[in-house]
Amino acid sequence: MTDYDDPRDDRPLHELVPDDWRELDDTIADGPAPAAVPDEARPWLSHQRLMHGLLRALHTQDAAAREGRIEQIFGRIDAEAATAGRRHGLLVAIAATLLAALGVWFMLPQSLPTAEAAVGRIVGEMARDIDRRFRVEVCRAGADGQQLARHEFRLVTRPGMRFLVEGQIALGGANVGEIHIGCDGEELWLRPRKGRFRQVVPLARKEQLMKMLGDVLDLGYLDVHDLVRRLPEDFELRVVDRVRGDDGQDLLAVEASRRRKASKGPRRRLRSAHLLYEEQTGMIRQIEVETIRASGNTHSFLLEYLGEGAGGDVDYSKPW
Amino acid sequence: MRTIRGAVDSRNLFEILVREHIDAVRAFLLASLRDNVAVEDLVQETFLTAWKILDRYDRKLPFGPWVRGIAGKLLLNHRRQLGRNRVHFCDERVLGFLDEGFRSFEAAPGDTFDEQLDVLRDCLDGLTSAQRDSIRLHYEHGLHCREIAQRLDMNFEAVKKHLQRGRAVLHRCLTSKLEAGEVA
Repeated sequence: MTDYDDPRDDRPLHELVPDDWRELDDTIADGPAPAAVPDEARPWLSHQRLMHGLLRALHTQDAAAREGRIEQIFGRIDAEAATAGRRHGLLVAIAATLLAALGVWFMLPQSLPTAEAAVGRIVGEMARDIDRRFRVEVCRAGADGQQLARHEFRLVTRPGMRFLVEGQIALGGANVGEIHIGCDGEELWLRPRKGRFRQVVPLARKEQLMKMLGDVLDLGYLDVHDLVRRLPEDFELRVVDRVRGDDGQDLLAVEASRRRKASKGPRRRLRSAHLLYEEQTGMIRQIEVETIRASGNTHSFLLEYLGEGAGGDVDYSKPW
Repeated sequence: MRTIRGAVDSRNLFEILVREHIDAVRAFLLASLRDNVAVEDLVQETFLTAWKILDRYDRKLPFGPWVRGIAGKLLLNHRRQLGRNRVHFCDERVLGFLDEGFRSFEAAPGDTFDEQLDVLRDCLDGLTSAQRDSIRLHYEHGLHCREIAQRLDMNFEAVKKHLQRGRAVLHRCLTSKLEAGEVA
Protein backbone atom coordinates (compact mmCIF):
# COMPACT_ATOMS: atom_id res chain seq x y z
CA MET A 1 0.00 0.00 0.00
CA THR A 2 1.20 3.49 -0.69
CA ASP A 3 0.24 6.78 0.86
CA TYR A 4 -1.89 7.44 -2.19
CA ASP A 5 -4.27 4.63 -1.25
CA ASP A 6 -5.58 6.16 1.93
CA PRO A 7 -8.82 8.00 1.04
CA ARG A 8 -8.73 9.91 4.33
CA ASP A 9 -5.35 11.28 3.52
CA ASP A 10 -5.49 15.03 3.13
CA ARG A 11 -1.76 15.69 3.35
CA PRO A 12 -0.29 17.94 0.67
CA LEU A 13 1.07 16.20 -2.42
CA HIS A 14 4.71 16.89 -1.64
CA GLU A 15 4.49 14.64 1.40
CA LEU A 16 3.06 11.73 -0.57
CA VAL A 17 5.55 9.35 -2.10
CA PRO A 18 5.39 5.65 -3.00
CA ASP A 19 6.34 3.31 -0.17
CA ASP A 20 9.19 1.77 -2.14
CA TRP A 21 10.87 5.19 -2.29
CA ARG A 22 10.69 5.38 1.48
CA GLU A 23 12.58 2.10 1.70
CA LEU A 24 15.40 3.64 -0.36
CA ASP A 25 15.97 6.26 2.32
CA ASP A 26 18.73 4.66 4.37
CA THR A 27 19.20 7.60 6.76
CA ILE A 28 16.64 6.14 9.15
CA ALA A 29 17.35 2.39 9.25
CA ASP A 30 20.78 0.90 9.95
CA GLY A 31 20.96 -1.50 7.04
CA PRO A 32 23.16 -1.09 3.99
CA ALA A 33 22.42 1.65 1.48
CA PRO A 34 20.48 0.57 -1.62
CA ALA A 35 22.65 -0.62 -4.50
CA ALA A 36 20.66 1.44 -7.00
CA VAL A 37 17.98 4.11 -6.98
CA PRO A 38 15.46 4.81 -9.79
CA ASP A 39 15.91 8.17 -11.45
CA GLU A 40 12.46 9.43 -10.48
CA ALA A 41 13.21 8.86 -6.76
CA ARG A 42 16.49 10.77 -6.75
CA PRO A 43 15.13 14.31 -6.23
CA TRP A 44 12.96 13.20 -3.29
CA LEU A 45 15.84 11.20 -1.81
CA SER A 46 18.18 14.17 -2.21
CA HIS A 47 15.71 16.50 -0.50
CA GLN A 48 15.48 14.04 2.41
CA ARG A 49 19.27 13.89 2.62
CA LEU A 50 19.62 17.67 2.42
CA MET A 51 17.29 18.08 5.38
CA HIS A 52 18.97 15.17 7.16
CA GLY A 53 22.35 16.93 6.84
CA LEU A 54 20.98 20.32 7.89
CA LEU A 55 19.11 18.86 10.88
CA ARG A 56 22.22 16.99 12.04
CA ALA A 57 24.24 20.17 11.64
CA LEU A 58 21.58 22.19 13.47
CA HIS A 59 21.73 19.91 16.50
CA THR A 60 25.51 19.63 16.64
CA GLN A 61 26.40 23.33 16.45
CA ASP A 62 29.26 23.85 18.87
CA ALA A 63 31.47 26.94 18.64
CA ALA A 64 34.39 25.35 20.52
CA ALA A 65 34.33 22.21 18.37
CA ARG A 66 34.22 24.41 15.28
CA GLU A 67 37.32 26.32 16.37
CA GLY A 68 38.99 22.99 17.15
CA ARG A 69 38.25 21.80 13.61
CA ILE A 70 39.74 24.93 12.08
CA GLU A 71 42.80 24.71 14.32
CA GLN A 72 43.33 21.10 13.33
CA ILE A 73 43.16 21.94 9.64
CA PHE A 74 45.71 24.72 9.94
CA GLY A 75 47.82 22.64 12.31
CA ARG A 76 48.09 20.00 9.60
CA ILE A 77 48.72 22.59 6.90
CA ASP A 78 51.50 24.17 8.98
CA ALA A 79 52.97 20.80 9.88
CA GLU A 80 53.07 19.78 6.22
CA ALA A 81 54.63 23.12 5.30
CA ALA A 82 57.25 22.69 8.03
CA THR A 83 57.97 19.15 6.89
CA ALA A 84 58.32 20.39 3.31
CA GLY A 85 60.66 23.17 4.48
CA ARG A 86 62.80 20.78 6.47
CA ARG A 87 62.99 18.45 3.51
CA HIS A 88 64.09 21.29 1.30
CA GLY A 89 66.82 22.28 3.77
CA LEU A 90 68.04 18.76 4.01
CA LEU A 91 68.16 18.47 0.24
CA VAL A 92 70.37 21.51 0.10
CA ALA A 93 72.54 19.98 2.85
CA ILE A 94 74.24 16.66 2.62
CA ALA A 95 72.50 13.97 0.60
CA ALA A 96 73.88 11.21 2.78
CA THR A 97 72.46 12.84 5.90
CA LEU A 98 69.13 13.15 4.15
CA LEU A 99 69.09 9.47 3.30
CA ALA A 100 69.99 8.48 6.82
CA ALA A 101 67.41 10.85 8.28
CA LEU A 102 64.72 9.56 5.95
CA GLY A 103 65.67 6.02 6.85
CA VAL A 104 65.04 6.75 10.50
CA TRP A 105 61.93 8.78 9.71
CA PHE A 106 60.37 5.90 7.78
CA MET A 107 61.03 3.59 10.69
CA LEU A 108 59.10 5.76 13.12
CA PRO A 109 55.52 4.63 13.74
CA GLN A 110 52.63 7.02 13.07
CA SER A 111 51.31 8.58 16.25
CA LEU A 112 48.59 6.60 17.99
CA PRO A 113 45.22 8.10 18.94
CA THR A 114 44.29 8.62 22.58
CA ALA A 115 42.54 5.75 24.34
CA GLU A 116 39.44 7.93 24.86
CA ALA A 117 39.25 8.61 21.13
CA ALA A 118 39.79 4.92 20.37
CA VAL A 119 37.11 3.65 22.74
CA GLY A 120 34.75 6.46 21.74
CA ARG A 121 35.14 5.40 18.15
CA ILE A 122 34.52 1.71 18.91
CA VAL A 123 31.47 2.51 21.05
CA GLY A 124 30.11 4.74 18.30
CA GLU A 125 30.48 1.99 15.74
CA MET A 126 29.10 -0.71 18.06
CA ALA A 127 26.05 1.45 18.86
CA ARG A 128 24.71 0.98 15.35
CA ASP A 129 21.45 -0.89 15.61
CA ILE A 130 22.44 -3.92 13.56
CA ASP A 131 23.10 -7.60 14.25
CA ARG A 132 26.73 -8.68 14.54
CA ARG A 133 28.17 -12.18 14.66
CA PHE A 134 31.02 -13.29 16.88
CA ARG A 135 32.85 -16.50 17.73
CA VAL A 136 33.18 -16.81 21.49
CA GLU A 137 35.77 -18.92 23.25
CA VAL A 138 35.68 -19.35 27.02
CA CYS A 139 38.62 -20.98 28.80
CA ARG A 140 38.78 -21.77 32.49
CA ALA A 141 42.14 -22.27 34.19
CA GLY A 142 43.13 -23.11 37.74
CA ALA A 143 45.21 -20.91 39.98
CA ASP A 144 48.27 -22.79 38.71
CA GLY A 145 47.45 -21.80 35.12
CA GLN A 146 46.41 -25.29 34.01
CA GLN A 147 43.44 -25.28 31.63
CA LEU A 148 40.37 -26.90 33.22
CA ALA A 149 37.76 -26.41 30.52
CA ARG A 150 37.21 -24.81 27.15
CA HIS A 151 33.91 -23.95 25.45
CA GLU A 152 33.14 -22.41 22.10
CA PHE A 153 29.95 -20.59 21.10
CA ARG A 154 28.40 -18.69 18.23
CA LEU A 155 27.03 -15.30 19.23
CA VAL A 156 24.74 -12.87 17.45
CA THR A 157 24.26 -9.61 19.28
CA ARG A 158 22.69 -6.21 18.91
CA PRO A 159 22.85 -3.16 21.23
CA GLY A 160 20.24 -3.13 24.00
CA MET A 161 21.15 -6.44 25.68
CA ARG A 162 19.90 -8.47 22.76
CA PHE A 163 21.81 -11.63 21.96
CA LEU A 164 21.59 -15.25 20.88
CA VAL A 165 24.22 -17.81 21.87
CA GLU A 166 24.52 -21.35 20.54
CA GLY A 167 27.04 -24.00 21.48
CA GLN A 168 27.91 -27.12 23.41
CA ILE A 169 27.64 -26.74 27.14
CA ALA A 170 27.80 -28.82 30.30
CA LEU A 171 25.44 -27.94 33.12
CA GLY A 172 26.15 -29.26 36.60
CA GLY A 173 28.85 -31.54 35.23
CA ALA A 174 26.52 -33.20 32.71
CA ASN A 175 26.92 -32.47 29.04
CA VAL A 176 23.52 -31.32 27.80
CA GLY A 177 24.71 -30.90 24.23
CA GLU A 178 23.85 -27.99 21.98
CA ILE A 179 22.10 -25.25 23.87
CA HIS A 180 20.51 -21.95 22.85
CA ILE A 181 20.49 -18.94 25.12
CA GLY A 182 18.86 -15.67 24.16
CA CYS A 183 17.85 -12.30 25.46
CA ASP A 184 15.55 -9.77 23.81
CA GLY A 185 16.44 -6.93 26.18
CA GLU A 186 13.67 -7.89 28.61
CA GLU A 187 13.65 -11.65 29.05
CA LEU A 188 16.49 -14.07 29.26
CA TRP A 189 15.76 -17.58 28.03
CA LEU A 190 17.54 -20.91 27.71
CA ARG A 191 16.62 -23.98 25.68
CA PRO A 192 18.56 -27.10 24.71
CA ARG A 193 18.44 -27.92 21.02
CA LYS A 194 16.98 -31.29 21.94
CA GLY A 195 14.87 -32.02 24.98
CA ARG A 196 12.06 -30.30 26.77
CA PHE A 197 13.93 -28.48 29.53
CA ARG A 198 13.65 -24.72 29.08
CA GLN A 199 13.86 -21.66 31.27
CA VAL A 200 12.93 -18.00 31.02
CA VAL A 201 13.54 -15.24 33.56
CA PRO A 202 13.18 -11.46 33.47
CA LEU A 203 16.50 -9.81 32.58
CA ALA A 204 16.61 -8.20 36.02
CA ARG A 205 16.98 -11.71 37.48
CA LYS A 206 19.73 -12.87 35.15
CA GLU A 207 21.84 -14.08 38.09
CA GLN A 208 19.29 -16.88 38.52
CA LEU A 209 20.02 -18.23 35.04
CA MET A 210 23.73 -17.58 35.35
CA LYS A 211 23.85 -19.84 38.41
CA MET A 212 22.57 -22.64 36.20
CA LEU A 213 25.32 -21.94 33.70
CA GLY A 214 27.84 -22.31 36.47
CA ASP A 215 31.30 -21.19 35.55
CA VAL A 216 30.79 -21.50 31.82
CA LEU A 217 29.39 -18.25 30.55
CA ASP A 218 29.11 -14.75 31.97
CA LEU A 219 26.08 -13.31 30.20
CA GLY A 220 27.13 -9.77 31.06
CA TYR A 221 29.85 -9.92 28.42
CA LEU A 222 27.53 -10.79 25.57
CA ASP A 223 26.24 -7.26 25.09
CA VAL A 224 29.48 -6.27 23.39
CA HIS A 225 28.47 -2.64 22.96
CA ASP A 226 27.77 -2.29 26.68
CA LEU A 227 30.94 -4.17 27.61
CA VAL A 228 33.14 -1.72 25.67
CA ARG A 229 31.13 1.31 26.77
CA ARG A 230 31.66 0.46 30.45
CA LEU A 231 35.38 -0.21 30.19
CA PRO A 232 36.53 3.37 30.92
CA GLU A 233 34.61 3.35 34.22
CA ASP A 234 36.95 0.96 35.99
CA PHE A 235 39.94 0.68 33.69
CA GLU A 236 42.98 2.58 32.61
CA LEU A 237 43.00 2.39 28.82
CA ARG A 238 46.00 2.70 26.53
CA VAL A 239 46.42 2.38 22.78
CA VAL A 240 49.51 0.19 22.70
CA ASP A 241 50.15 -0.84 19.12
CA ARG A 242 49.24 -0.56 15.47
CA VAL A 243 49.38 -3.80 13.46
CA ARG A 244 48.53 -4.77 9.91
CA GLY A 245 45.73 -7.37 9.65
CA ASP A 246 45.77 -10.29 7.19
CA ASP A 247 43.42 -8.31 4.97
CA GLY A 248 45.76 -5.32 4.88
CA GLN A 249 43.66 -3.22 7.30
CA ASP A 250 45.46 -1.19 9.95
CA LEU A 251 44.40 -2.47 13.37
CA LEU A 252 44.93 -0.70 16.68
CA ALA A 253 45.43 -2.57 19.94
CA VAL A 254 43.92 -1.13 23.13
CA GLU A 255 44.90 -2.45 26.54
CA ALA A 256 42.64 -2.02 29.56
CA SER A 257 44.06 -2.59 33.02
CA ARG A 258 42.00 -2.32 36.18
CA ARG A 259 42.38 0.83 38.26
CA ARG A 260 43.52 0.19 41.81
CA LYS A 261 40.46 1.70 43.44
CA ALA A 262 37.95 0.16 41.07
CA SER A 263 34.96 -1.55 42.66
CA LYS A 264 35.13 -5.29 43.14
CA GLY A 265 32.31 -7.54 42.07
CA PRO A 266 30.99 -10.00 44.63
CA ARG A 267 31.82 -13.17 42.73
CA ARG A 268 34.21 -12.41 39.96
CA ARG A 269 36.47 -9.60 38.98
CA LEU A 270 37.36 -8.48 35.49
CA ARG A 271 41.16 -8.26 35.59
CA SER A 272 42.17 -7.05 32.16
CA ALA A 273 40.90 -6.61 28.62
CA HIS A 274 42.53 -6.33 25.23
CA LEU A 275 40.78 -4.93 22.18
CA LEU A 276 41.78 -4.95 18.55
CA TYR A 277 39.87 -2.66 16.21
CA GLU A 278 40.03 -1.35 12.66
CA GLU A 279 41.63 2.06 12.69
CA GLN A 280 39.71 3.33 9.70
CA THR A 281 36.23 2.23 10.68
CA GLY A 282 36.30 1.78 14.47
CA MET A 283 34.97 -1.77 14.03
CA ILE A 284 36.05 -4.18 16.74
CA ARG A 285 37.88 -7.28 15.50
CA GLN A 286 38.70 -9.01 18.75
CA ILE A 287 38.06 -8.60 22.46
CA GLU A 288 39.71 -10.68 25.14
CA VAL A 289 38.75 -10.25 28.77
CA GLU A 290 40.12 -12.09 31.75
CA THR A 291 38.30 -12.52 35.04
CA ILE A 292 39.58 -13.92 38.28
CA ARG A 293 37.52 -15.65 40.96
CA ALA A 294 37.94 -15.70 44.71
CA SER A 295 39.28 -19.27 44.30
CA GLY A 296 42.12 -17.97 42.13
CA ASN A 297 40.69 -19.64 39.02
CA THR A 298 40.77 -17.46 35.93
CA HIS A 299 38.40 -17.25 32.99
CA SER A 300 39.42 -15.87 29.65
CA PHE A 301 36.68 -14.80 27.32
CA LEU A 302 37.59 -14.23 23.67
CA LEU A 303 35.24 -12.67 21.11
CA GLU A 304 36.19 -12.70 17.46
CA TYR A 305 34.14 -10.62 15.06
CA LEU A 306 32.80 -12.59 12.09
CA GLY A 307 30.69 -9.94 10.37
CA GLU A 308 27.27 -8.37 10.32
CA GLY A 309 24.10 -10.47 10.55
CA ALA A 310 23.44 -12.42 7.40
CA GLY A 311 20.21 -11.00 5.98
CA GLY A 312 17.04 -9.99 7.84
CA ASP A 313 16.53 -8.92 11.41
CA VAL A 314 17.29 -11.58 14.02
CA ASP A 315 14.45 -12.47 16.38
CA TYR A 316 15.85 -12.46 19.91
CA SER A 317 12.62 -13.32 21.68
CA LYS A 318 12.09 -16.76 23.23
CA PRO A 319 11.15 -19.26 20.52
CA TRP A 320 8.16 -20.77 22.28
CA MET B 1 57.00 30.06 -7.81
CA ARG B 2 54.95 31.12 -4.76
CA THR B 3 56.74 33.82 -2.72
CA ILE B 4 56.70 33.96 1.10
CA ARG B 5 54.45 37.03 0.90
CA GLY B 6 52.22 35.21 -1.57
CA ALA B 7 52.12 32.17 0.69
CA VAL B 8 51.10 34.27 3.69
CA ASP B 9 48.37 36.00 1.65
CA SER B 10 47.11 32.65 0.40
CA ARG B 11 47.03 31.26 3.89
CA ASN B 12 45.08 34.26 5.19
CA LEU B 13 42.67 34.06 2.28
CA PHE B 14 42.29 30.34 2.83
CA GLU B 15 41.55 30.82 6.53
CA ILE B 16 38.73 33.22 5.62
CA LEU B 17 37.36 30.68 3.14
CA VAL B 18 37.61 27.84 5.66
CA ARG B 19 35.76 29.88 8.28
CA GLU B 20 33.05 30.78 5.79
CA HIS B 21 32.48 27.30 4.41
CA ILE B 22 33.47 24.70 7.00
CA ASP B 23 29.97 24.38 8.48
CA ALA B 24 28.30 23.96 5.09
CA VAL B 25 30.88 21.35 4.05
CA ARG B 26 30.32 19.53 7.31
CA ALA B 27 26.53 19.59 6.79
CA PHE B 28 27.05 18.33 3.22
CA LEU B 29 29.04 15.37 4.59
CA LEU B 30 26.59 14.81 7.47
CA ALA B 31 23.93 14.30 4.79
CA SER B 32 25.79 11.27 3.44
CA LEU B 33 27.89 9.70 6.19
CA ARG B 34 26.57 7.83 9.20
CA ASP B 35 29.64 8.09 11.40
CA ASN B 36 30.39 11.48 13.01
CA VAL B 37 34.08 10.67 13.34
CA ALA B 38 34.29 9.91 9.62
CA VAL B 39 32.58 13.24 8.95
CA GLU B 40 35.25 15.07 10.96
CA ASP B 41 38.01 13.17 9.13
CA LEU B 42 36.56 14.01 5.72
CA VAL B 43 36.03 17.69 6.62
CA GLN B 44 39.75 17.87 7.35
CA GLU B 45 40.73 15.96 4.23
CA THR B 46 38.48 18.19 2.12
CA PHE B 47 40.13 21.42 3.26
CA LEU B 48 43.64 19.96 3.17
CA THR B 49 43.05 18.88 -0.42
CA ALA B 50 41.58 22.30 -1.21
CA TRP B 51 44.70 23.95 0.23
CA LYS B 52 46.99 21.76 -1.83
CA ILE B 53 45.21 22.57 -5.07
CA LEU B 54 44.19 26.12 -4.24
CA ASP B 55 46.02 27.41 -7.30
CA ARG B 56 43.43 25.55 -9.42
CA TYR B 57 40.57 27.44 -7.82
CA ASP B 58 39.18 30.16 -10.11
CA ARG B 59 38.63 33.09 -7.75
CA LYS B 60 35.92 34.51 -9.99
CA LEU B 61 33.71 31.54 -9.10
CA PRO B 62 32.08 30.85 -5.72
CA PHE B 63 34.22 28.76 -3.37
CA GLY B 64 31.34 26.75 -1.85
CA PRO B 65 30.52 24.53 -4.86
CA TRP B 66 34.24 24.04 -5.59
CA VAL B 67 35.05 22.80 -2.09
CA ARG B 68 31.87 20.70 -1.94
CA GLY B 69 33.01 19.13 -5.23
CA ILE B 70 36.21 18.04 -3.47
CA ALA B 71 34.17 16.74 -0.52
CA GLY B 72 31.94 14.80 -2.94
CA LYS B 73 34.91 13.10 -4.62
CA LEU B 74 36.39 12.14 -1.24
CA LEU B 75 32.97 10.83 -0.22
CA LEU B 76 32.71 8.61 -3.30
CA ASN B 77 36.23 7.26 -2.63
CA HIS B 78 35.28 6.64 0.97
CA ARG B 79 32.18 4.74 -0.15
CA ARG B 80 34.19 2.61 -2.56
CA GLN B 81 36.60 1.71 0.23
CA LEU B 82 34.12 1.09 3.03
CA GLY B 83 30.99 -0.08 1.24
CA ARG B 84 27.31 0.66 1.51
CA ASN B 85 27.02 0.15 5.26
CA ARG B 86 28.84 3.31 6.20
CA VAL B 87 27.91 5.79 3.51
CA HIS B 88 24.36 6.51 2.43
CA PHE B 89 23.44 5.98 -1.21
CA CYS B 90 25.71 8.25 -3.25
CA ASP B 91 26.49 8.79 -6.87
CA GLU B 92 27.36 11.83 -8.97
CA ARG B 93 23.71 12.68 -9.60
CA VAL B 94 22.54 12.49 -6.00
CA LEU B 95 25.57 14.54 -4.94
CA GLY B 96 24.68 17.02 -7.70
CA PHE B 97 21.13 17.38 -6.34
CA LEU B 98 22.51 17.76 -2.82
CA ASP B 99 24.93 20.44 -3.98
CA GLU B 100 22.03 22.33 -5.60
CA GLY B 101 20.24 22.22 -2.26
CA PHE B 102 23.26 23.65 -0.48
CA ARG B 103 23.67 26.33 -3.18
CA SER B 104 20.08 27.43 -2.52
CA PHE B 105 20.69 27.36 1.22
CA GLU B 106 23.68 29.69 0.79
CA ALA B 107 21.12 32.37 -0.18
CA ALA B 108 19.53 32.20 3.28
CA PRO B 109 19.84 35.43 5.27
CA GLY B 110 22.54 35.58 7.94
CA ASP B 111 26.26 36.21 8.19
CA THR B 112 27.10 32.79 9.56
CA PHE B 113 25.89 29.27 8.85
CA ASP B 114 24.33 29.20 12.30
CA GLU B 115 22.36 32.36 11.54
CA GLN B 116 21.32 30.87 8.21
CA LEU B 117 19.96 27.87 10.09
CA ASP B 118 17.39 30.23 11.65
CA VAL B 119 15.29 29.70 8.51
CA LEU B 120 15.17 26.01 9.33
CA ARG B 121 14.42 26.74 12.99
CA ASP B 122 11.44 28.84 11.88
CA CYS B 123 10.22 26.03 9.64
CA LEU B 124 10.20 23.56 12.54
CA ASP B 125 7.18 25.46 13.90
CA GLY B 126 5.18 24.34 10.88
CA LEU B 127 5.44 20.63 11.69
CA THR B 128 2.72 18.55 13.31
CA SER B 129 3.46 17.65 16.91
CA ALA B 130 4.22 14.02 15.96
CA GLN B 131 6.64 15.13 13.25
CA ARG B 132 8.28 17.67 15.55
CA ASP B 133 8.62 15.17 18.41
CA SER B 134 10.05 12.48 16.11
CA ILE B 135 12.57 14.91 14.63
CA ARG B 136 13.54 16.30 18.02
CA LEU B 137 14.06 12.84 19.55
CA HIS B 138 15.98 11.60 16.51
CA TYR B 139 18.25 14.56 15.83
CA GLU B 140 18.49 16.31 19.19
CA HIS B 141 18.48 13.29 21.48
CA GLY B 142 20.04 10.84 19.02
CA LEU B 143 17.36 8.17 19.52
CA HIS B 144 16.83 5.40 17.00
CA CYS B 145 13.36 5.01 15.44
CA ARG B 146 12.72 1.96 17.61
CA GLU B 147 13.37 3.96 20.78
CA ILE B 148 11.26 6.85 19.50
CA ALA B 149 8.44 4.42 18.78
CA GLN B 150 8.52 3.23 22.38
CA ARG B 151 8.75 6.77 23.71
CA LEU B 152 5.84 8.06 21.60
CA ASP B 153 3.84 4.84 21.82
CA MET B 154 3.63 4.27 18.09
CA ASN B 155 5.08 1.68 15.75
CA PHE B 156 8.42 1.78 13.97
CA GLU B 157 6.93 2.44 10.53
CA ALA B 158 4.88 5.36 11.85
CA VAL B 159 8.02 6.98 13.25
CA LYS B 160 9.80 6.55 9.90
CA LYS B 161 6.90 8.21 8.13
CA HIS B 162 6.77 11.10 10.59
CA LEU B 163 10.49 11.69 10.11
CA GLN B 164 10.31 11.51 6.33
CA ARG B 165 7.17 13.63 6.06
CA GLY B 166 8.56 16.10 8.56
CA ARG B 167 11.69 16.48 6.46
CA ALA B 168 9.55 16.91 3.33
CA VAL B 169 7.56 19.68 5.06
CA LEU B 170 10.78 21.34 6.18
CA HIS B 171 12.23 21.16 2.67
CA ARG B 172 9.10 22.72 1.22
CA CYS B 173 9.09 25.46 3.84
CA LEU B 174 12.81 26.16 3.37
CA THR B 175 12.49 26.33 -0.41
CA SER B 176 9.53 28.71 -0.29
CA LYS B 177 11.27 30.98 2.24
CA LEU B 178 14.47 31.05 0.20
CA GLU B 179 12.57 31.76 -3.02
CA ALA B 180 10.63 34.54 -1.31
CA GLY B 181 13.90 35.95 0.06
CA GLU B 182 15.51 35.91 -3.34
CA VAL B 183 12.54 37.67 -4.95
CA ALA B 184 12.50 40.29 -2.20
